Amino acid sequence: MKPIETVPDRKLLLFKSCMVSQEYPGIESATGYAFEKLGADYYVNEEQSCCTGIGHYTDLFEGLTTAAIAARNFAIARRCGYPNITCLCSTCYAVNKEACELLNTNAEVREKVNSIFREQGMDDLVYEKGDMDPRSSFYHAVEVLLSKVDLIREKKQLDFSGVKAAAHHACHYYKVKYQDVVGNPENPQLIDDIAEACGADMVRWYEDRTLTCGMGFSQLHLNRNTSLQVTKAKLDSLKNVGVELMLHMCPNCHIQYDRYQPVIEKEFGVEYDTVHMNIGQFVALALGADPYKVCGFQTHSVPLEEFLERIGAI
Amino acid sequence: MMPLLSYVNEYDTPECNTLAETAKRSIRTPDSLGLDRCIQCGACTASCPAARFTDYSPRQIVKRVLENDWSLLEDESIWSCFYCYSCNLRCPRNNSPVTIVQVLRQMAVNEGIGLEKLAYFVDVGEYLAENGASRIPGPGVRNMEKDLGERWIGFKRDLDTIRAELGLKPRDVRDTGSEVRAILEGTGFFEREKWIKSRESGDTELTLNPSAVIMPALKSRL
Repeated sequence: MKPIETVPDRKLLLFKSCMVSQEYPGIESATGYAFEKLGADYYVNEEQSCCTGIGHYTDLFEGLTTAAIAARNFAIARRCGYPNITCLCSTCYAVNKEACELLNTNAEVREKVNSIFREQGMDDLVYEKGDMDPRSSFYHAVEVLLSKVDLIREKKQLDFSGVKAAAHHACHYYKVKYQDVVGNPENPQLIDDIAEACGADMVRWYEDRTLTCGMGFSQLHLNRNTSLQVTKAKLDSLKNVGVELMLHMCPNCHIQYDRYQPVIEKEFGVEYDTVHMNIGQFVALALGADPYKVCGFQTHSVPLEEFLERIGAI
Repeated sequence: MMPLLSYVNEYDTPECNTLAETAKRSIRTPDSLGLDRCIQCGACTASCPAARFTDYSPRQIVKRVLENDWSLLEDESIWSCFYCYSCNLRCPRNNSPVTIVQVLRQMAVNEGIGLEKLAYFVDVGEYLAENGASRIPGPGVRNMEKDLGERWIGFKRDLDTIRAELGLKPRDVRDTGSEVRAILEGTGFFEREKWIKSRESGDTELTLNPSAVIMPALKSRL
């Protein structure tokens, strides 16, 4: 288990996510806004590349490419003085942690990666064993927010009392490296604890709480019907308990639920009243951020206007 | 006659006598992989989203790996896993069916099986080399446009403006110089890209791995 006290609030490299940048850019700006309000020291480095997650988990990239790209990003994090990699996407988090473990424990892979760097004249990227620590160099933004939960409660300007909400903790945060999760990996509560501090009425258990979002990397594209059935299972169970706000911590899950909820409604002849938000957008909103200029809700597929009006955000 | 392509992925699929040995030595699986400790309890299948909606069974996959059943590489079901890692979390013996399936898929790819699935995503590689970021692959965008309609298409059209309003760089292009491309060249990704695209070219001869070690080995085992 990862004790919440060990989550740093200094030298955080806010790790850019491709799906955040291209689908829900407000997650990046809102998380940055929340970090600033809460006094967390972070930096966004444009030199950092994609973690390879989309290609790695669609079987396109092999492990060596993923390890080498990760080693380059680790060098960039160390070079700019922000070595605590803090992810917005649960897949970036898992990919980086796994690559770090591989680079530390497998000398053959490490030497191969370093020989590629040397051959290409990129000696400054060379990775030495222990340059990063798989357990203490990688965090998810939700962990930083949870570490500041008392401050969030104190500084909140918007109260979510009376809002029935539920959390979807992303699989690649708590099921890949399950020994490094804040709390119990069988029942993660990070999002619930943060949202409750903002007054939300959290449904802490619902059917299929730990079911995956259904995106499944290649599954949404190659086995679309099964993918949407999985997504529907959780939306149905949220509907059964009257949840109006679903909170996320990964842009892949967010795409699956927010973008595909209207598609599922149409194809399966169902209706849902649930709206979707990333926990960073939620905390920023609670701390007084503009729903459009900071949280970027205009990029969502399920419109939030009615919900935002009711809670007094617009 | 055009030269035949071959492709070897020695780190994901180290050449071994058995499926189990390859799975254990692959860099896709953890060193502590509890494959030999599997007690066939079925906790993996009980928590598996693919098993709930399809014929996929991680328990059966692990059993067949331990039985060294090479026909698994041609079994369509290995392509049903969501990579959600529920089995990885729930296994009481620290086995990891999800990472074993990743190795099986890579072994299949070496044999030219499933290349059309990878071809769907293949433009992500060149895009990453060029921009330092990944994206939804071209065929995926076309399917999403059909599914999500005008609201999504319109938002994507306005993405640069919206990003600027949020105080972000208008386009998600990273400052990686040529480093990411150089890495992909160094790891042999572009050779792999050719291997994947060989199926698309319609020349089926090109998809057979001629390296005389792997393909006949597989054939003789079936």
